[in-house]
Amino acid sequence: MILDSFKLDGKVALITGAGRGLGRAMAVRFANCGADIVAAARTVSQLEETAELVHQIGRKCSVVATDVGKSDQCNALVAAAMKEFGRVDVMINNAGIGEDSFGKPIEKITDEEWHRGIDVNLSSQFYCARAVIPHMVAAKRGKIINVASGYGLRGGKHNYMYACSKGAVLQLTRSLALTYAEHNIQTNCIVPGIFPHNEAMMKFFKGGKFIPIGRPGQDEDVGPLAVFLASEASNHINGELIIIDGGGLAGGVTPTGVAPGNPA
Amino acid sequence: MPDLKTLPAGLKDFALNDKAALIIGAEHPVGRVAAITLAEAGAKVLIASQNAGTEDALKEVARAIEAGGSKASIQVQRAVLRADLSATVDLAVSKLGGLDILVTALDSPFYGPAESADDSAFDRVFEDNFKTAWMAFQEAGRVMLQRGGGVIVNINSVLAERGVPNATLYCSAKGAVRNLVRALSLEWARRGIRLNMLECGWIAEKDSVALEPGDFSDKLLKYLPYRRLLKPEEIAGALLYLVSPAAGFVTGESIAVDGGLLCRV
Repeated sequence: MILDSFKLDGKVALITGAGRGLGRAMAVRFANCGADIVAAARTVSQLEETAELVHQIGRKCSVVATDVGKSDQCNALVAAAMKEFGRVDVMINNAGIGEDSFGKPIEKITDEEWHRGIDVNLSSQFYCARAVIPHMVAAKRGKIINVASGYGLRGGKHNYMYACSKGAVLQLTRSLALTYAEHNIQTNCIVPGIFPHNEAMMKFFKGGKFIPIGRPGQDEDVGPLAVFLASEASNHINGELIIIDGGGLAGGVTPTGVAPGNPA
Repeated sequence: MPDLKTLPAGLKDFALNDKAALIIGAEHPVGRVAAITLAEAGAKVLIASQNAGTEDALKEVARAIEAGGSKASIQVQRAVLRADLSATVDLAVSKLGGLDILVTALDSPFYGPAESADDSAFDRVFEDNFKTAWMAFQEAGRVMLQRGGGVIVNINSVLAERGVPNATLYCSAKGAVRNLVRALSLEWARRGIRLNMLECGWIAEKDSVALEPGDFSDKLLKYLPYRRLLKPEEIAGALLYLVSPAAGFVTGESIAVDGGLLCRV
């Protein structure tokens, strides 16, 4: 039965950035598909809210306070997951920062901001993959899901660290995919379009009115894609970037709603 | 049909219960898998072919669907003609009570040096791969626009993204469909139709050049990240994701089912 191949019964998913937004939505959706969760982020109070949602569904959720920009903390995170559950079936590298830096002119960006952004958005995914891969190789299976952004494929005005770090995530995905294909570890990348998480972002993106499908993304949109990529249903998909953006990257040559040949 | 009461809460929007689905090209191995997958996920299906002489193949697909507890209707015609495609879509609407999903699994390869391809090869490859897709999207789209929406998935090849020597017409027609999906997805995005694609890697199916013994297949197998060809049934998950309500924010996109092949090039 095809739907059985999407089930995540008894699988353990480690999700970074799980205290809010996409990470929390993925944790809840995974629990609803039968998975147990290891939730990582810096802010424990937010992780505990996520854990409560997972517990209400009847699945386990352990909370690990982690600054994913630091490699020793990523190592400790994976070690904690292994200690608690004895396995990590799915590693979701979701943590990211810097959406609030959009629009900041280049001369105002400090070295610290640049490095911190690259550490959290890019290096964290490398650190967590490096820590989890030996366990997946030993298990002869594994799924790594990296979360990038449409800005990994397009430029943006006054958008440096974010576009660069997310673009590099695509390349990390491809090289991990090719290297570990023979170990039955699939590495894929979710490329979300505009998913505003607060009023300021909603305003910055003008309510998402320019998105072809006519609305911005909602966190819950990403859950099913992550489930698919974590499940047996995607076993021959590897190194793939899946864009979930309401059609944004299919176009872009004209503003949305403006087209040649439209009747006046 | 999936029992929504027992399905895990996180999987309910992957089910296709009572959706009406038309699969054109169901006699091909991946089209066959598409038809069986959608029926298993709960859809009512009409399976169709653009090629005469495929009745037996379609009947076998219908039997496989019925063995799974669902029902299938069959339609065979030279569907590259406008009138025939229109009739196929009309038949789907009348037999299934509507049209929610269209899957096109069109495949008509041409391998050989460009300088030796005559105009009839051009016409055949572009008609079978591109023109049929274009007309099927138009005909199904008209119905879907009137009914307030739908989902279309074209099953294509990784050759839609990259070139290969001695497959110029094929790569061109496949790439044309890729960009058709981009442009049309934008045109219909606010009118309720999502349009996406699957790109298959080298498939283990009868008559595939990848299976002909020789230098090409020997070297290809070593080059593939999984060191093996794609089995048709391995597209099922990606297809179900794309046609289901679970992918409601995905349009104009293509998912490669290739084991990572496109990362290499």
